[in-house]
Amino acid sequence: MQADWNTVLATAETLKEYRAGVEARDKDLGAFLHFSPSISTEAENPGSASAISGLPIAIKDNLAVTDFPLTCGSRLLEHFTSPYDATAVERLKAAGASIVGKTAMDEFGMGSATDTSALSETKNPWDPNRTAGGSSGGSAAAVAAGMVPAALGSDTGGSVRQPASFCGVYGLKPTYGAVSRFGLVAYASSLDTVGVIADTPDRLEAVFSVIAGEDAKDQTSIAAFSPGKPPVAPSDLSSLRVGILQADESDEPGVREAMTCVEDVFRTAGTEVETVTLPFLEYASAVYYTIATAEAGANLARFDGIRYGERPLYAENPDELVRLSRSTGLGDEVKLRILLGTYVLRSGFHDQYYGRAQRLRARIIQDMQDLFSRFDLLVSPVFPTLAFKLGRDGLTPYQRKQADRYTTVANLAGIPALAIPTGVHDGLPAGVQITGPAGGDYALIAAAKALHQALPPAAPATYPRIWS
Amino acid sequence: MYASKIGLEIHIQLLTNSKIFCGCRAAFGDEPNTNVCPVCMGYPGVMPALNGEAMRMAYQVALALNCTPTEHTQFARKNYFYPDLPKNYQISQFGAPIGTDGYLDIEFHGKTRRVRISECHLEEDAGKMVHAGDMSLLDYNRAGTPLLEIVTEPDLEIAEEAEVLLTQLRRMVRYLAVCDGNMEEGSMRCDANVSVAPEGAPLGNKVEIKNLNSSRFVRKALAYEIDRQTDILERGGTVSVETRLWNENRDQSEPMRTKELAHDYRYFPEPDLPIVEADASFIAKLSDAQVELPQARMQRLKQVHGLGDRVVELLCDEKETADFFEAVVAEGADAGAVASWLTSDVRKLLNRFEVSLAASPLSPRRLAELLGLLQSGRIHGKIAKQTLEAVFTLDDDPERIITEKGWEQIVDPKALAELAVAVIADNPEAVAAVRAGNAKPLGFLVGEAMKRSAGRAEPRALQQALKDALSVEPLYVLDFGGAIGGERRPDGMVQPGTRKEVKELLAADPDLPDSIRFDEITLGGFLSEEISPRDWAQLVSAVRYRIEDSSSGVVISHGTDTLAYTAALLSWVFPDPQVPVVLTAAVTPEKAPELMRDAVRAALQLPPAVHVVLEDGTYPAVNLRFERVEADAARFRTWNATGLESEQWPGFALGDASADALTARFETAMRQVHIARIYPGMRSESLVRLMDAGYRAFILELYDTGTANLGHSPFGLRAAFEEARRRGVRIFCTSQQEGVVDFQSYVTGHALWREGAVPMGSLTTETAYARLVAAMVCMEDDDEAFASMEHRGSMKNE
Repeated sequence: MQADWNTVLATAETLKEYRAGVEARDKDLGAFLHFSPSISTEAENPGSASAISGLPIAIKDNLAVTDFPLTCGSRLLEHFTSPYDATAVERLKAAGASIVGKTAMDEFGMGSATDTSALSETKNPWDPNRTAGGSSGGSAAAVAAGMVPAALGSDTGGSVRQPASFCGVYGLKPTYGAVSRFGLVAYASSLDTVGVIADTPDRLEAVFSVIAGEDAKDQTSIAAFSPGKPPVAPSDLSSLRVGILQADESDEPGVREAMTCVEDVFRTAGTEVETVTLPFLEYASAVYYTIATAEAGANLARFDGIRYGERPLYAENPDELVRLSRSTGLGDEVKLRILLGTYVLRSGFHDQYYGRAQRLRARIIQDMQDLFSRFDLLVSPVFPTLAFKLGRDGLTPYQRKQADRYTTVANLAGIPALAIPTGVHDGLPAGVQITGPAGGDYALIAAAKALHQALPPAAPATYPRIWS
Repeated sequence: MYASKIGLEIHIQLLTNSKIFCGCRAAFGDEPNTNVCPVCMGYPGVMPALNGEAMRMAYQVALALNCTPTEHTQFARKNYFYPDLPKNYQISQFGAPIGTDGYLDIEFHGKTRRVRISECHLEEDAGKMVHAGDMSLLDYNRAGTPLLEIVTEPDLEIAEEAEVLLTQLRRMVRYLAVCDGNMEEGSMRCDANVSVAPEGAPLGNKVEIKNLNSSRFVRKALAYEIDRQTDILERGGTVSVETRLWNENRDQSEPMRTKELAHDYRYFPEPDLPIVEADASFIAKLSDAQVELPQARMQRLKQVHGLGDRVVELLCDEKETADFFEAVVAEGADAGAVASWLTSDVRKLLNRFEVSLAASPLSPRRLAELLGLLQSGRIHGKIAKQTLEAVFTLDDDPERIITEKGWEQIVDPKALAELAVAVIADNPEAVAAVRAGNAKPLGFLVGEAMKRSAGRAEPRALQQALKDALSVEPLYVLDFGGAIGGERRPDGMVQPGTRKEVKELLAADPDLPDSIRFDEITLGGFLSEEISPRDWAQLVSAVRYRIEDSSSGVVISHGTDTLAYTAALLSWVFPDPQVPVVLTAAVTPEKAPELMRDAVRAALQLPPAVHVVLEDGTYPAVNLRFERVEADAARFRTWNATGLESEQWPGFALGDASADALTARFETAMRQVHIARIYPGMRSESLVRLMDAGYRAFILELYDTGTANLGHSPFGLRAAFEEARRRGVRIFCTSQQEGVVDFQSYVTGHALWREGAVPMGSLTTETAYARLVAAMVCMEDDDEAFASMEHRGSMKNE
């Protein structure tokens, strides 16, 4: 009999046990950059209304939590502490959840294996030689290894879904604007979303329904999501119209197997299923990297060492101070993307790169709208591979960027997408993502609940569940 | 010939309570870094939230500038690194600004111009970096305060126009209460683009001038830049595209960066802010709430109350003053009186007590009450001023002040009549003299009566009571020299003379009523051509005294040579004399008796104003031109009579300065004003020498409708104009012919306007000169006097 997650922070004794358990597990994984759980008064009162009362939750280290570090995985912010709470965090706290720590990530969210982090590279709980994925690799590994039931991540081009899928847990990238971005350190503002990683669709829903909703501090947040929504029932799969993305033979067998597996579930349930193609898919990564880097160039400009962050002890003048702070504080991948972003916005080339990318993005949005006039959801791979190997045995930087094509579509179109685990292939978790029209986040969760019944996920053998 | 084009980029700081993207106070002068938060400090993860008040104010300005409001306005990021810019990008607008395609009408020296506004966009301000020793300190209090940038098309031609535009814009934003318009403190900032090219050629290379933090610097810097570029082009060079910084200490600009180093701002749409909808109902609501703008208000006050341009401009400069003016008028006071009190005595007291109108003890009701007391005769002018001052010091109502202080005058006709009868009874000798035809003892009787009333009798009413009791109408004749008061020597030459007894001269005239009494005052003893500043001061002082202390009228005998000057002068300093003031002049003593009779008759019959009576009839006092056509036959003609009617040339208030003080003022004024006539051999050098000698203003007589040689040769006037502009010397232009000088007809005329020549419209040289002297005598501030030489006859009503 596993203990209840809601009770782990209830007493000094349970807290001590919890802390020791997590620290032991994380020694090898490197999921947390900062772990400091405390007793939760909510956990002492199990009668609390909220489904997440007393729940320990981990937060990706690019979301602001008062008095917690906010490193974004960067050397430049290694010793920076946030003076305020992100809106999503504030809402979690208000609903009685307890923030226990900050999780590892690629520097400023720029990567897909947490290996661009200057502070910690996270191992996959299923295989220590493989990556947990990225950039929210710490959050996904923390959930998969049973250290927290849920964690917040951020998803700009797949950074919640890909690590969730690599680790065999659920990961939601909500509709753009469904969750306030206030307090999320921006990478690419028009693509950034605050996402949820959880062990079950129910938990994922409980967390999402707390953090979603309009926020005056983020005027791009939308009113469609009102907090306090009652849980949705699992979908009646037979009533759905489902598009299945045509298989790409170059995808790994485990990826294709997961797609077939899900298709079978639908067909068995009598769902109307049709194979579809997305003609623009080959451009998705290029459009994504053009827009994301353009915005990143501006978003990361504030890290100049003047008001906060690491900086040299001495500089001749303000210009030199900024130059030295950035050249020593920022990692190579970040520098590369800033340079790219500067390049695509350059006077005289602006229209050729940034302008063209925006036009293509508009087209992608239109195509996805058309698609969702025919289907309730689209099933597609999350990534062309399962969790790849760490270090040189893994994918090249170019392959990794190309591999973002499946996930970036939802970010470019501003629509919700949910990564769900479908089973284990050769000892590694496999999964798919389901995508819906803007605002259809709860419909995706309902479908995930139905699929969860058909395809219950497994836990990695080395990290058996202590709490549930 | 070169053409210059100037475009301005003006930033105004909007007076919102909080900053544009966060809740921090938008206040100035607080301790550094006290009005800051993670948002305006650019902390990781924060987001901007647009302040709706800033949005509203921005649209208000855009509408006031006749812009088309943008329905879906959008923000953009302007990327550049600077330590005072927290995010290292500025949230600004690009492509979809608040408003586009507006205009503002301005006028300089009689020339109106429509300056197109290409756009208004909203953005956030940066912080401030201060260098202290080997440290750079940063204050982010200002970071994130809302700025509206107003960009004009390059429609301005000269530096002075830019100054006018800024003044007008400042007034407008103050009316809208969206900005305090203070350039010195940086709440209104200006950058300018200047390009000079040969006339008719395409636009020249553009130079941007920064650091123009007062409207005076704007004028100086732009004039400097136009000269600099013109010089380069004249020497065959090329103006390089660059940004220059105005150095106010050296009065010159210095290169800041060249085009090669120009920023690439890499604008792109701000993803953190949604597109803002400004739909028709939002715009309609703003339009409905729009206050009356200064230009419209000036126009209305002119039309409704018949006030002059300059007065209206002074009244409308601050909305507070204009509101106050209208409130006083609403209380029933006379608009003209309110205007003149507000623009002179009230203004002086506000300055003296260093208080604003709103904060002063003077309320519209109190001023109306004061003017009511004055109008009903319960107090006179001097007491009124005293009472006004008492309102400031005692913070009390005028009515109560005069009661408590015992300042109220005796105005009751019955009481005054009793007083008159008593004085007449007690002074039989003086009364006999008056009855015999002499006006002089009348003054004595008035004095006696005044003594009996303990100084409280209202002087004019008292005089009237005495005049009624004696059945006399005193008429004053002032002898101001000239042949009319002189005599012919045996050799036939005229010399200033022993005065004739006008009384005798006119004794036999059956046409004059019996009630007329004469008082002759000799001022002259000189010929007309010998008039000096002192003489004018004496004359003005004497006329003022006679107007106030008599009378049915004043007749002045004058010489012909300078009659045109004196007549104009009197009409400028006595725009509303209450009694007729008649000047008359004869070329020879022989014609004097007849002319004097005509003048006296005119003084009895004409409306209260300054008139000139000559052999062939009566003339207005201004624009008289002396054109002797044959020996012993003076001919005068009024020039540009029709043009004059359409132009507004209000007179001045002389005030109560003593004769000595007036002499000093006339001497000072006349020492600084010079009349020059252009001619083919005229050299710039001579005018510059006069400037060296201390002349600060010229009446320059040009040809025809205002043309002159403005070339660079010694015989061209360019050097003189440039020098004048540099020194702040004014050049007011009239014509040698009967031409209206407006600089609109010829290229050379326009070139003169560009160089700062002020067109005098229809005014003749004599009249213009007299006006300038009068203005300088009547006004304490020479700039005010110079401003009164501007006329807006040509200004179109917008």
